[in-house]
Amino acid sequence: MTPCGSGGQDALIQERKFKMIKPLLQGLALTLKYFIRPSQVVTMQYPEERWTPYPRFRGLHELQRDQNGKEKCVACGLCSTVCPSECIHIVSAENAQGERYSEVYEIDMLRCIFCGYCQEVCPEDAIFLKQEYELASSEGTGFIYGKERLLAPLKKHK
Amino acid sequence: MINLIIDNKNITVPRGTDIFLAAKNNGIYIPGLCYHPKLSQYGGCRLCMVEVTERGRTRHKFSCAQPVSEGMQVKTKTPEIIKYTKSVMEYLLAHHPLDCPTCDKSGECGLQDITHDLKLSKGRFKTVRMNKPMRRDNPLLEFNANRCILCGRCVKLCKDVEGVGAIDFQNRGINTIIGTAFDKPLDCSFCGGCLSVCPTGSWQDRTFKFRARHWELKKTTSICPYCAVGCTIETNTKDNTVLKITSNDARGMNEGNLCIKGRFGHDFVHSDKRIKTPLIKKNGVLSPVSWDDAIGYVAKRFREIKNVYGGKAIGGIGSEKCTNEDNYVFQKFCRMVLETNNIDNLSNMKSPLLNTLIHKSIVHGFTSTTSLKKIEKADTLFFVGADVTEAHPVIGTLARKAIRLNKADLIIANLRNVRFDSIAKNDIRLIHKLGTQAPLINALIKTIIDEKLVDLKRVEKATDGLRELKSLLKTFTIKKASQITGVSEETIRKASALVAKPGNCYIVCGKDIEEDPSGPDTIKALMNLCALINTASSLKTDAGKISLVFSRLNNNSQGANDMGVVPDFFPGYLDIDDQSNRKRFEKSWDTKLSDTIRKGTAFNLIDLALKKKLKAMFVMGENPIVNFPNGKTVKEAFRQLEFIVVQDTFLTETAQLADVVFPTATFAEKEGTYTNMAMEVQRLNIAIPPVCNARQDWQILCDIAKKMGVTLFYESSKEILDEIENTVPIFSGIYYERLIRQSFNWVTAHKLKSRKYKFEILNPKSVTVKKKRDYPFLLLTGPSLHHLGSFSRNSNSLVSVASECFVEVNRKDAQQMNIHDGDEVLIESIQDSMKLKAKVTKKLPENMIFIPEDYEWVHVNVLRDNVYTKVKLSKA
Repeated sequence: MTPCGSGGQDALIQERKFKMIKPLLQGLALTLKYFIRPSQVVTMQYPEERWTPYPRFRGLHELQRDQNGKEKCVACGLCSTVCPSECIHIVSAENAQGERYSEVYEIDMLRCIFCGYCQEVCPEDAIFLKQEYELASSEGTGFIYGKERLLAPLKKHK
Repeated sequence: MINLIIDNKNITVPRGTDIFLAAKNNGIYIPGLCYHPKLSQYGGCRLCMVEVTERGRTRHKFSCAQPVSEGMQVKTKTPEIIKYTKSVMEYLLAHHPLDCPTCDKSGECGLQDITHDLKLSKGRFKTVRMNKPMRRDNPLLEFNANRCILCGRCVKLCKDVEGVGAIDFQNRGINTIIGTAFDKPLDCSFCGGCLSVCPTGSWQDRTFKFRARHWELKKTTSICPYCAVGCTIETNTKDNTVLKITSNDARGMNEGNLCIKGRFGHDFVHSDKRIKTPLIKKNGVLSPVSWDDAIGYVAKRFREIKNVYGGKAIGGIGSEKCTNEDNYVFQKFCRMVLETNNIDNLSNMKSPLLNTLIHKSIVHGFTSTTSLKKIEKADTLFFVGADVTEAHPVIGTLARKAIRLNKADLIIANLRNVRFDSIAKNDIRLIHKLGTQAPLINALIKTIIDEKLVDLKRVEKATDGLRELKSLLKTFTIKKASQITGVSEETIRKASALVAKPGNCYIVCGKDIEEDPSGPDTIKALMNLCALINTASSLKTDAGKISLVFSRLNNNSQGANDMGVVPDFFPGYLDIDDQSNRKRFEKSWDTKLSDTIRKGTAFNLIDLALKKKLKAMFVMGENPIVNFPNGKTVKEAFRQLEFIVVQDTFLTETAQLADVVFPTATFAEKEGTYTNMAMEVQRLNIAIPPVCNARQDWQILCDIAKKMGVTLFYESSKEILDEIENTVPIFSGIYYERLIRQSFNWVTAHKLKSRKYKFEILNPKSVTVKKKRDYPFLLLTGPSLHHLGSFSRNSNSLVSVASECFVEVNRKDAQQMNIHDGDEVLIESIQDSMKLKAKVTKKLPENMIFIPEDYEWVHVNVLRDNVYTKVKLSKA
């Protein structure tokens, strides 16, 4: 603030008030423009209207299944090793057939930065970052996605 | 030394080194998969080709099979060689399945590393997957033949190091596979050596399978918690869980070799059966309470008993399995806080004279082995009453190394024909009759004197009493000895010639001698033998000497005795009745020791308890009810006591009788030091925080002391070791930090006073065993490869391999009684009876049966009395 008397300040306010009028009118003109032509609006009426992400958008991860509906992930641990935010937690184990599988596969979505390294490193093409972006939750544990939420649903026709 | 040039680098290495090792030791990398420094040459993987220029000629050679020579010029990275190595790798990878993501070896795989180094991508060959079946015929090891590159390391290790030879190459050409004879299930000692040397993931640990990736594991160097060899292990942990035990070839005396207990017996750490909270007996049932309540209750009861009956009404049994620090604090707690000298450990209770004898042997320089590793330099190995294969398997591997590389001779004196697989040229077995160990050793001495195998003049000059010894042995002819012992004259002559020959000789004195009633006599005879040969030797250094190694049972049996958990000595074998020693400890502990702290009568704690002289007992990490002979009496003795406190990891039979039980930490959660049977003090480290509320033993003791109003406070086990270093003369110079790098040996660290040796004049009598008509068999007990103490009993892996105790019966006896392998037989002694599965064997003499005593859930000790137990056998 400039150290001057109250008279000087009043003059300043007067001047600003005068300067304000032009941008106000400009704004109102824009509103009027979109009111007349609604097709040019860029914001969305979110819950009613939904955005279709671009093909290369990286959203929620999905663990893939093979043709027989078996999960592709072999719990090799490369994704959790490469993950820069260390948000993937895997516990691997042996299944009844003596094969390796992930007993626990958890991603902490609060820590995930959606860099997509896990998808890139996966030797089995078992993880993909899909288009899903609605990840809000009302409690902390809701951000930890286990296998039940990450695994792709079984295809019906199979 | 040989000078050569590898890749323009001047290198000097000892003669006989291979180019491969010379390069590796000097930081030059040559790819190679079949070479392993501890195994013999094979030259099978064909990867280590180098260009060698010698005497003006340049040729290509395999560096692992080519010794260095003077002026040699070696190039490892010429374009030709790189091209060649790449093509060899292409062949190796042609059939190798690309299952790195699911292979446990991934990350430490030799094949993977070389592929990565050579930047190999898609090969030129059409790859074919072999789809050979997996070998899954045992609970511990799994073999995937598809991943195998036939480097032969496991085959060589099994044959050379372990002496088992359970696996070998089968078939020819592309069908070559590693397998067992006649494709039978794998039947070996399960040392897991194949796992440790396999460069690919062909051999897999089934107990670990898929539980973590190599790079996620944290490795903590530690010491094996089982037998007295004290192998260095690496505890592999992830998320505070012990997942597997590996070994490092470069660390410790075991050179990366372990036995089944060391490698697979670690799962007790996370067993469900561990005690989770302190327990107090209420209305006859042990119920969980908080730490404060339990400690307060124990302190209160101890104070009451001390006030009413005096401190000496409390007995203490220290632990052969706990660390030196635990044992030091235990004896300090008992002597200072409880004011009792009625403390002991089980090994001292079983063989009370052993400590004195070992000390004598040290003073005269007969036990001067700096490390058990020295055994691999031996020229003669003499196992007296020691079943090395079962009790101390890693000593067996060291001995086999001596036999393989040093052409060492082997002599085994035992009652049973114990198994020891070796390729020794002179492999002499002195299978003697029962109770004739001492005459047998005397027969060797007699032969050496008679045949003048050593320079007797020199012996006479350096020792006292040779003349008496000679006159005593005058009537004891070899013929007579042969009759008494049952060993042929020729064999005795041959054995004494081998013992007396120049070169290093190591005598491993086993449990069968130490715990035998005639044990002290035999050990004295052995010392005479040592004196005879050592003093005759003109060499002053260790070389050319004979050395006695006393085998011990548990990981810290030696340490428990060193730390003074015995009624006769303060820590460091300082006489307890000596006033200056007493002052030394009073000063260090800042206290006045009670007058009751003096040598007591010759009774052991069990007898005292039976005589109702003890009112309370403090047992730290031991299970005497199962591990001490005459089990019924021990149980009776414990029933006589008013108050029993037990510190243990598991609810053992002794803990079940206790009034208060404290849960304690295991080796993975502890720090401190263990002393092995060659008096090497080695350090273990904390790998994981305590599981289920357990505490280290010394912490519990300090807490009780605090509640009883005595300050006994330590911050860490380092502080305890510092106190030991300051107070105990034989341990001066031991520093906790230094122990990380190298072990400390208190025998060689100090020059103990050596007087002129005086021969022990003993009549070579044999112990006669009275026969009883009703009980025609004699019961022998001994060690077992698969089990030791309550840890192995709670390890699922070990129990899955050895789930059932057995009784060995001589083949002839078995034929007479119509007993076959696997039949159930009833064994009855005066004390008790039990049913066990029979195992018919040739190893035993007639009229004897053998039961391994370490299957803790089978209480063999209830059959036994204090001396030779007679039993009767019948088909159940």
